[in-house]
Amino acid sequence: MNIERKRRITNLVALALSSLAAMVGLFWLVFILGDVIVHGIRGLNLSLFLEDPVPPGIEGGGLRNAFVGQVLITLAATLIGVPVGVLGGTFLAEYARGKKLSRVISILSDIMVSVPSIVVGTFVYAIMVKPLGHFNGWAGAVALAIIMIPVVLRTTEDMLTMVPWTLREAAFALGAPYYKVIIQVVYRGAATGILTGVLLSIARVAGETAPLLFTSFNNSFFSWDMSEPVASLTVTIFQYAMGPYESWHLQAWAASLVITLFILLITLAGRFILKWRFGR
Amino acid sequence: MNPLELDVRELNFYYGETHALKNINLPVYRHSVTALIGPSGCGKTTLLRCFNRMHDLYHGNRYSGEIIFNGRNILSDDIDLIDLRSRIGMVFQKPTPFPMSIFDNIAYGLKLRGIKKRSDLSERVERALKHAALWEEVKDKLNESAYALSGGQQQRLVIARALAVEPEVLLFDEPTSALDPISTAKIEELAVKLKDEVTIIIVTHNMQQAARISDWTGFLMLGELIEIDRTDKIFTSPSEKLTEDYITGRFG
Repeated sequence: MNIERKRRITNLVALALSSLAAMVGLFWLVFILGDVIVHGIRGLNLSLFLEDPVPPGIEGGGLRNAFVGQVLITLAATLIGVPVGVLGGTFLAEYARGKKLSRVISILSDIMVSVPSIVVGTFVYAIMVKPLGHFNGWAGAVALAIIMIPVVLRTTEDMLTMVPWTLREAAFALGAPYYKVIIQVVYRGAATGILTGVLLSIARVAGETAPLLFTSFNNSFFSWDMSEPVASLTVTIFQYAMGPYESWHLQAWAASLVITLFILLITLAGRFILKWRFGR
Repeated sequence: MNPLELDVRELNFYYGETHALKNINLPVYRHSVTALIGPSGCGKTTLLRCFNRMHDLYHGNRYSGEIIFNGRNILSDDIDLIDLRSRIGMVFQKPTPFPMSIFDNIAYGLKLRGIKKRSDLSERVERALKHAALWEEVKDKLNESAYALSGGQQQRLVIARALAVEPEVLLFDEPTSALDPISTAKIEELAVKLKDEVTIIIVTHNMQQAARISDWTGFLMLGELIEIDRTDKIFTSPSEKLTEDYITGRFG
């Protein structure tokens, strides 16, 4: 067999294998999304968003409490996680730039990103649920914030590091103190990148269930009170999907569809911002 | 002869253990252009960055000796760096517009000085842009991003930004090395025009450029100032053999 023929066959095998692998991945993705859409769409109606759950076995009702709870917890998590993450990333990229400490924290937070979320849930359970004696929404927000922080921190660090050093020198040369250089020049240069990181971190935590099971738990009633157990979509999906009632299953499907679309939208927004800023 | 603007006396500079500038004595005359030339790594940029204490940004850098400016040693610890840097501006090798509008770029240094009134700012921004010969090209798009400008325009924008705070001295660190010949000519023309109002020190790799625009030329090598003299003298009959060898292209 001549070498050209051999190469062509090797090429064909490699192409076939990698295409097959891509197909396998895509198949499940399409299957899952398709299933969620097909089942979820049947359960979508206005009362899903406007009404609270009714007692089990009775038809009707909605998941207003879970939607509101999900938004509350995610919002609170963002308010806690984003400032900490952005400021931490700023410290690493600016004040501790090039120092050993910075490397160590970067590596630790890379590890933090892959810590199983249930571990974070049990940790927050131990420090915020057990001492208080009951599940509460704040604990859920803190658990999600802990998951967000390393993501936001690393993105911020990377984005700030990408801002050319000469830009900072130019601002220093005009007599600006360091904090003004960071806020007025460096943050501006990195703004879209940081914003994308923030959006992606929200998308990351919006679908978390395990940490909420141990912290905010669930609440069948509508509530704005974050110091009480708060319902969330993910925990509700878990509970309803496990439940015996057909109407629960349908609502769980619908909730799955809504949260999937929500995460899809946030991710797309992040991508568009990146493209708009760096595409040209 | 113009009076002295800056007087460098027995300046030594160290990057950690590296002795980068050795016993430099250099007079800089007011409202003149002083060019610093020399082979790569000779310390010309290092010397330039002493004038606005840019080296203070990094740990392990150390000065000794004096640079006298307005009767004071600007290397002493009690110098207010913010004030110093508003009086001695700097333009870098690559254009460094900030990620904001053209107007905000120019206004940046002014705002740092506490000038906040819009009418005041507008007037000064216009004056600075006219000074830097950029006004006609950008007057209709002051609110557009500075990144939309060409490289040469960006460099003039940066010069306008430095001029806006009305400095006494402008430091140019190879300001045209990233530009095309036409933009380079504009910047050179500008430098010559500006010396009516500011004292200019320019580091350049390009000896023709030094010959074209400067009144004084200093030649550095291996961290030492070999010679400083009138530009025409340096380029026609330098006193030092090393200078002559460098200028005639025998090394470097």
